[in-house]
Amino acid sequence: MRARYGASPLHLLAHLAALAGAAWALLQALQLGGADRIVLWLVGAVVLHDLVLWPAYTTLDRLARRGRPPGWANYVRFPVGVSALLLLVFFPVMCGKGDAAYTRVSAESWEGYTARWLLVSAALFVAAGALYLVRSRAGSSS
Amino acid sequence: MSAPPGPFRPKFWKSPLRGTLLTAVLGTVLLGLVTLVALTGFLSHAAYQPDLGRNGLVEPDVPFTTFFDWPTGPSWLYAFTQGLHVNAGLVVIPVVLAKLWSVIPRLFQWPPARTPAEGIERAAIALLVASTGFLLATGVANIQYWYVFGFDFVKAHYYAAVVFVAALAVHLVVKVPVALRAYRTRRVLAPVDHLAAAAPDPQTISRRGLLAAVGGGSLALLVANAGESIGGPLRATAFLAPRRSGGFPVNKTAAGAKVTTGMVGAGYRLVIAGGERGLALTRDELLALPQATQTLTLGCVEGWSTRQTWTGIPLAELARRAGVPDPQELLVESLQPAGILRQATLTGGQVADSRSLLALQANGADLSMDHGYPARIIVPALPGVHNTKWVGSLTFRA
Repeated sequence: MRARYGASPLHLLAHLAALAGAAWALLQALQLGGADRIVLWLVGAVVLHDLVLWPAYTTLDRLARRGRPPGWANYVRFPVGVSALLLLVFFPVMCGKGDAAYTRVSAESWEGYTARWLLVSAALFVAAGALYLVRSRAGSSS
Repeated sequence: MSAPPGPFRPKFWKSPLRGTLLTAVLGTVLLGLVTLVALTGFLSHAAYQPDLGRNGLVEPDVPFTTFFDWPTGPSWLYAFTQGLHVNAGLVVIPVVLAKLWSVIPRLFQWPPARTPAEGIERAAIALLVASTGFLLATGVANIQYWYVFGFDFVKAHYYAAVVFVAALAVHLVVKVPVALRAYRTRRVLAPVDHLAAAAPDPQTISRRGLLAAVGGGSLALLVANAGESIGGPLRATAFLAPRRSGGFPVNKTAAGAKVTTGMVGAGYRLVIAGGERGLALTRDELLALPQATQTLTLGCVEGWSTRQTWTGIPLAELARRAGVPDPQELLVESLQPAGILRQATLTGGQVADSRSLLALQANGADLSMDHGYPARIIVPALPGVHNTKWVGSLTFRA
């Protein structure tokens, strides 16, 4: 069994149990309206991460580091990464994607989100720049 | 058959940080966070008391419903659990991204499965990653009112969570021993580390530095949103939260619910049923009943909350007047003409709590139309939308 399957029978049973449970939930979900969209979002989440997001940020990181001294990278990586993360998560509210729904339910409208994101990003870049300056001065004077 | 070029070949992977230990650390942090998110998610499901009336939003016959009555105290309980759900769900995003980065060479391993065991393991991991991405993406879109799904968010989010729990459980069975081994051998050179690069580049950041960056990302998302969950003066600090404006946010406007001033004017009667004889009370008659004032927190499923002072008639008092002094359930129906949430069923315990009110006023003034004039429900620790507005009828069931 182990030689043919590659693991213990418990491994197989645990996986069969989990896959059966997951299959039940998936079948329930696929009976809902918009089942094709559910599949699209499930597959899309993996494809967008593995074939778009991950290649994009690793390529950008490699290009940005090419030919530059090694001590340089993290002062840029950190603020750019945090800024990009905030954009990734909150771009719907910045772009007003749910604007109509939000106004319908709350009688309010969204304002200033992009501006606040830019200001926070600017503050992160300034802080990282200041830290780089302080540390490189301290490093060169010692 | 030899591996195709690129990421399918081990030499493609250059980062000196990847290794079983880094993945074990990220996995441990992730396990704590996703447990919190999943537990609070299922608690929210239970807080809606889906076993009563038409409360169930997923399916009437869905298993794992409630084995207990959702408590009425502390009044901020639901705001707390749901605030945790939404904010921990945001905090988890950078950790998920880092965890996926740490194991991504395995995605391209060649051959894709060396044994049937590896094949079935990879199928379970595909479900784990897909359901994680699905839950995070739909949750993030939903709190921002971006209803692009084309499917029922509540139901799909629920079933995806079940897929996630099943896939995570078996992932833990396989990987907890691997992580424990990585912790035990951390000071020794591990003999075989499938995640470590064969020919790594020079290091540009330490593992601690990477973990600090992930933590910084999580902190940024938390600060950007958490103020809307805490409410009060901290709401203004939530610089990207969808619900950062206003001290007393409206969850659904009267116009949005299609409740008109004509429906709540002189002809308005609150119908109270369930006893031997029904009652139909005008708003003035309601105001003449004994009133109580309570400061209670309203928590929304979207993760924001607001604490206000409400004045109205205790539901227990209305139950007595209806002739059902010790009801098992209370069906509350709104004047709102349509929508599954135009009605809600409360438990006997929720009716019996002296802080549960049919509120007529908020902060000393009559309710505004958008806050549910002429009368709304306010019950401590009840999910926001079950605090029905524009109440048209109360049906007590003995």
